Amino acid sequence: MNGVLVVGAGLAGARCAETLRANGYEGPVTVVGAEPSAPYERPALSKEIISGAKTPEDVLLRPHGWWAERSIDLLTGVRVEAIDTARRVALAAGRELEWDHLVLATGARPRRLPLLPATAHVLRTVEDAVALRATLVPGARLVVVGAGLIGAEVASGALALGCDVTLVDAAAAPMVQAVGAEIGSELAARWTRRGATLRLDARIASADEDALELADGTRIAYDVLLVAVGAAPTGEPGAAEGEILTDSYGRTTRPHVYACGDVAAFGRNRVEHWTAAAGQGATVARTIVGEPTPFDELPYFWSDQFGLRLQMVGDRSTSVTTELDGDEDSFSARYLDGSGRTVAVLLANRGSQVAVVRRELAAAA
Amino acid sequence: MSLYRIEIDRSLCSGFGSCADLAPHLVQLDSSGIAVVRVGETDDELALEAAASCPMGAIAVFDSESGKQAA
Repeated sequence: MNGVLVVGAGLAGARCAETLRANGYEGPVTVVGAEPSAPYERPALSKEIISGAKTPEDVLLRPHGWWAERSIDLLTGVRVEAIDTARRVALAAGRELEWDHLVLATGARPRRLPLLPATAHVLRTVEDAVALRATLVPGARLVVVGAGLIGAEVASGALALGCDVTLVDAAAAPMVQAVGAEIGSELAARWTRRGATLRLDARIASADEDALELADGTRIAYDVLLVAVGAAPTGEPGAAEGEILTDSYGRTTRPHVYACGDVAAFGRNRVEHWTAAAGQGATVARTIVGEPTPFDELPYFWSDQFGLRLQMVGDRSTSVTTELDGDEDSFSARYLDGSGRTVAVLLANRGSQVAVVRRELAAAA
Repeated sequence: MSLYRIEIDRSLCSGFGSCADLAPHLVQLDSSGIAVVRVGETDDELALEAAASCPMGAIAVFDSESGKQAA
């Protein structure tokens, strides 16, 4: 018996491995991760690691020894180079790893922009976060290209550290993909009041090692440049980058090959958030041990930024209108589709309502 | 069979509520939407699932006998 080989030691892969053991799987379980660190909580990178509230050690998913105690063979700093599904082997660091079941949890890679210098920071790994944090000294001029979730959280943290922060985005409002243009505009006003500079509808014309130039001629000098324009699914080792399609049990089109987490279009839907990675990893484990249950959790994310905890439940992509209630320091936004049905709810500093909203949306789904 | 003790760091709890959905007999949300433990000890493995489901990592489960963290 060759057991289960999990490629990727992020949350999805780690959760798959521990759920296999929790469900009585007794064969070998190996988790191979390209990053040197043991599995950790990625959401903390742009939040507590940037703010300085936590160290990399604090954000480990499990304490040292956890994996070995459960007979999970964790190989970190090892990149799987190729997969042979016919022979059921994976090639990594000159070794052939054999498997009965293969779980692809290879995650996503941060996008870069060809116009920007290769020295620009990105934020995906704990090394990225530590390197970026070290540059955020008081007075440092930080320019963030991309005003999405990660850009917003880093900007917020950097302001608190005494940096001078400018966010640049091609859209007319920040966080458009996450919360829509209407709420994005509300957030923009808040960020500006709190001291961030926003350059929206912006096109970058050129860039060098200490300044960006926008198409309208504005020159923005920087000490630190962060590119936060999303991530692209990594794909399968040795193959082209891209998402891996699965059914709602995590099965790919090939027997004994599964996918979960950021790389997976899980049940045809790719969602790059914590609860999706955790739930999908556990779902794949239950599929492997013969107790399959489909993954059908509502999308969810949270974001800590500019004095707000934002919590979004549901998928707002089909919404056409937004109903806003509350004030700038505590509000909710209901996203309604064309038939007036609530498809998602965003709560800002209203944690007491999250569970209620989750139940309401789950019952309506 | 193990006995488990559940601990919730209420300062971390964000009110997500997956714990109370999975194991309503072990964890519930109080009137402010923050999770509280309902039992002293339990042998129910759902305690482990409830802890793992928490996006904030606010729930820890300990083996009562060894004191070691189980989830």
